Amino acid sequence: MQTSIRWTMRLAPVVAALLTPPVARAAVFIQCPAPLLTQNATGGSCGAGPCYLDPKNPAASSDPGCVDPEVVDPVTGKPTFFDTCKVRLDPVTGQPSGETTDPTIVCRSITCGDGHVNMADGSDMYVFGFRDVTNAPESLLAGAGFFLGEDGSLTGGAEFAAPTLVARVGQRLYLTLTNVGFRERPDLGDPHTVHFHGFPNAAPVFDGEPMSSFGLNMGASLTYFYDNQYAGTYMWHCHVEAAEHMQMGMLGNLYILPAQDGQAVTHGGQTYTRFAYDDCPTLGTLPLGTPDPMCGTTGYDVMYFLQQASFDPVFHYNDQTYQKLDFANMRDTYAMLNGRGYPDTVNPGVMVNSAGAPSQPLPAIPFTVDAQGVRAPLAIAQGQRLLLHLSSLATESFFTVTVLGIPMRIVGQGAQLLRGPTGINTSYVTGSVTLSGGEAVDVILDTTGVPPGTYFLYTTNLNHLSNDAEDFGGMMTEIVVASAAQ
Amino acid sequence: MIQTTQQGRRLFILLLGALLVLPAAPGRATVLGATGRTFTLTARADTISTGDGDSMWMWGLGLGGGRMQYPGPTLIVTEGDSITVILRNQLPVPVSLVFPGHSVTASGGTQGMLTREVPAARPGVPGQAVVYRFTATHPGTFSYHSGTLPDLEVEMGLVGALIVRPRGSPNQAYNDPASAFDREFLYLVTEADPVLHQQLAFSCLSAAGCDLASVDLTRRHPTDWFVNGRTFPDTMMDPFVAYLPTQPYNCAPMFHPGDRVLIRWVAGGADLHPFHTHGQNHLVIARDGRLLRTPGSAAPDLAVSDYTTTNVPGETVDALWGPWTGERLGWDVYGTQDINPHTCNAAPGSNFDPVSREYCPDHDKPLPVTLPSQSDVTYGVVGVGMWGGTPYLGVSGDVPPINPASSTQMNVVGGISFMWHSHAERELTTNNIFIGGMATMALIVPVGTAIP
Ligand SMILES: [Cu+2]
Repeated sequence: MQTSIRWTMRLAPVVAALLTPPVARAAVFIQCPAPLLTQNATGGSCGAGPCYLDPKNPAASSDPGCVDPEVVDPVTGKPTFFDTCKVRLDPVTGQPSGETTDPTIVCRSITCGDGHVNMADGSDMYVFGFRDVTNAPESLLAGAGFFLGEDGSLTGGAEFAAPTLVARVGQRLYLTLTNVGFRERPDLGDPHTVHFHGFPNAAPVFDGEPMSSFGLNMGASLTYFYDNQYAGTYMWHCHVEAAEHMQMGMLGNLYILPAQDGQAVTHGGQTYTRFAYDDCPTLGTLPLGTPDPMCGTTGYDVMYFLQQASFDPVFHYNDQTYQKLDFANMRDTYAMLNGRGYPDTVNPGVMVNSAGAPSQPLPAIPFTVDAQGVRAPLAIAQGQRLLLHLSSLATESFFTVTVLGIPMRIVGQGAQLLRGPTGINTSYVTGSVTLSGGEAVDVILDTTGVPPGTYFLYTTNLNHLSNDAEDFGGMMTEIVVASAAQ
Repeated sequence: MIQTTQQGRRLFILLLGALLVLPAAPGRATVLGATGRTFTLTARADTISTGDGDSMWMWGLGLGGGRMQYPGPTLIVTEGDSITVILRNQLPVPVSLVFPGHSVTASGGTQGMLTREVPAARPGVPGQAVVYRFTATHPGTFSYHSGTLPDLEVEMGLVGALIVRPRGSPNQAYNDPASAFDREFLYLVTEADPVLHQQLAFSCLSAAGCDLASVDLTRRHPTDWFVNGRTFPDTMMDPFVAYLPTQPYNCAPMFHPGDRVLIRWVAGGADLHPFHTHGQNHLVIARDGRLLRTPGSAAPDLAVSDYTTTNVPGETVDALWGPWTGERLGWDVYGTQDINPHTCNAAPGSNFDPVSREYCPDHDKPLPVTLPSQSDVTYGVVGVGMWGGTPYLGVSGDVPPINPASSTQMNVVGGISFMWHSHAERELTTNNIFIGGMATMALIVPVGTAIP
């Protein structure tokens, strides 16, 4: 007996070392090297520095509305944290910008799971997807467990389209994914990932393709790291069981802004300060060279992003109701832009699903967001240039789109400026552009000489101008050209 | 949700075995095929295997009098040569061959709509032959296929690739040095509807011969998707394996950091296939055997970089992928000194080590995040996984058994892999079984690890 006890004692430290991970931590955890800038929603004093939220330790936040996630409204009995602590919003996407106290660092936090969205014909659709929870401190995120809470931010499940990811050249994006599991299909237990589609010189560890790396299990977090060095239109999606998860809606916009933004460049008599690409090697990150004839050609006044995707309602129904999936007969009948069919595409607001939860945050028109988060459509003034980041993540269909009445100049493709290896400008003007799943172009619509009015961007696959059986809608949106600004 | 079959699982285990012997594994520096000036091809029927465990009755072309293969033999010739292709026929239907992009003269047989045809084989009647002659005037990537009932016969498998190498420059795709490559890989992409093949097989069993009217091509609905005649994961197996006797060609790219990798895409079927290269963009330098260039330019000055290129039926695309170096990731992709002691000495005027091809400005920078524990992640998909155990190139680590049926570790050299696949994601299935279809995994191994 003595011997046995001694052996146990000798083994104990070894066993403890095997069971304890090198760094003790919960499975749900956020990694962001700098605190998140906030809007100071309560108007209190943030001290000498900027207003910020420390998502790891809210008590250390400088924003007085962010220091205590436990505060409960005495009347409603609900937590007030998401009313008093608001992270900064991106003015184009209306979603958390992820800005931190370090201008070279952007942090976003997202969850993945399932949910419901509304189709433009009013029908309900079960989806897999992501949700932006950048404003949630780690304690609330971890406390939500597999099932999200009742409060404002964490209510509801997946959004469609997925949160739009944005960073600028020179910025490092820390993207924390937390798998909260499927509420309606817990039997599946699926892992999920983020695939940053088109990331140059990628490494498998952050590529999200699970055969080359791994997927993230339920109840855990994984922080992806992207040091962004090249501007352009990319896209992102879950890559686990891609034929299923992508059809089910785990798709989102992603674009990287050029380093050149903020510098004034004159092209064609107009001066621009915002650009699709670093098109001036003398200003951007490219090696110094002679003045480039493409300098300023990608300048724009207004920018927006549109992602083509389409749903097969039968496939979604089968996944919701525990039935065998029919990949072979997948057939999309809801063609959408940014997760909506026309006329929902031109509604600037956040759409809610049949349960009243925010489900489709992105319209397919440029919009403005005020400090209260109220949105309004943004018209293009005659003479201005509109840049569209246009991508497709359709899993079965191929879509051609046109803009009736405004020529389209394609200035970029595959997250690359359309410039040949020897410097030739290979951009082109066209009346339509066709995208397969996984393809993207940068389109500039120049409204010089375009009479004020409403113009339609729509798919010329005319059968897809429909919301399933409703013979109206589908992949279409509006571009409003206003009188020239005086 | 994953649905698979026992047969599928068995194939995945075979894949494990194939990769375990990695130093002698599938990658090839050049495309496999038949070389020479004169080729005899015989159209015959046979069966192929698909990754769902099924088999499909096919018509294909065999080299000489050999067994037919899918796709037909890749014909590799040299610019300027006079090429002769002799076609014989053992099928119960007439067949012919067309060579898009070439000026062909045909003799023998009977005149068909597009070219001269070899009549249907008849028992007891000596077989005829048609001789096709052309000069390989332009280097590049081309295809060939049946010119008789092509909607049916190409679906049935009578299609192949033709590569014309520039004379005197075997390591270039074209005569311009901008098309030079270290490694090249053929991606002949096709699709098939197994129901049509069954219908035709049943009709051909009758004593009266094949009843083509019984096959309704208007209802063609492909559910199998192929690269070089194989579905994933068979694409990753060795070439010429005994258990795939009519599907000799694999597609398992393997290369080193910094290599110039030529992808020769041939769209051999009737549908569009958007092909996405994980890891890095590819530069499209040529279409249909012609460099993308302005008049007067020798170099492809109109080349276009992209991360997805749509393969359009009948079209070929030559693209240079990479080079991949892990440049500007913001961390050392070879690991820090405590993980993997190594040096990085940039060549003068360069950011790269001339031997290892490492990007030196990121040398010794740590991975900026902590990864989840092994219990919080799932490696691979349905037992197929190529994670080497660490994020670092050339550093192997502990990986839990990816396939419960096997305790072997794949990817023992610490390579890193990228999926190159159809981005019409539905096509990652084989007759409704995920994962399968039009996919391959490209494997990057460190400089110093030999590639066959
Ligand atoms: Cu997923």
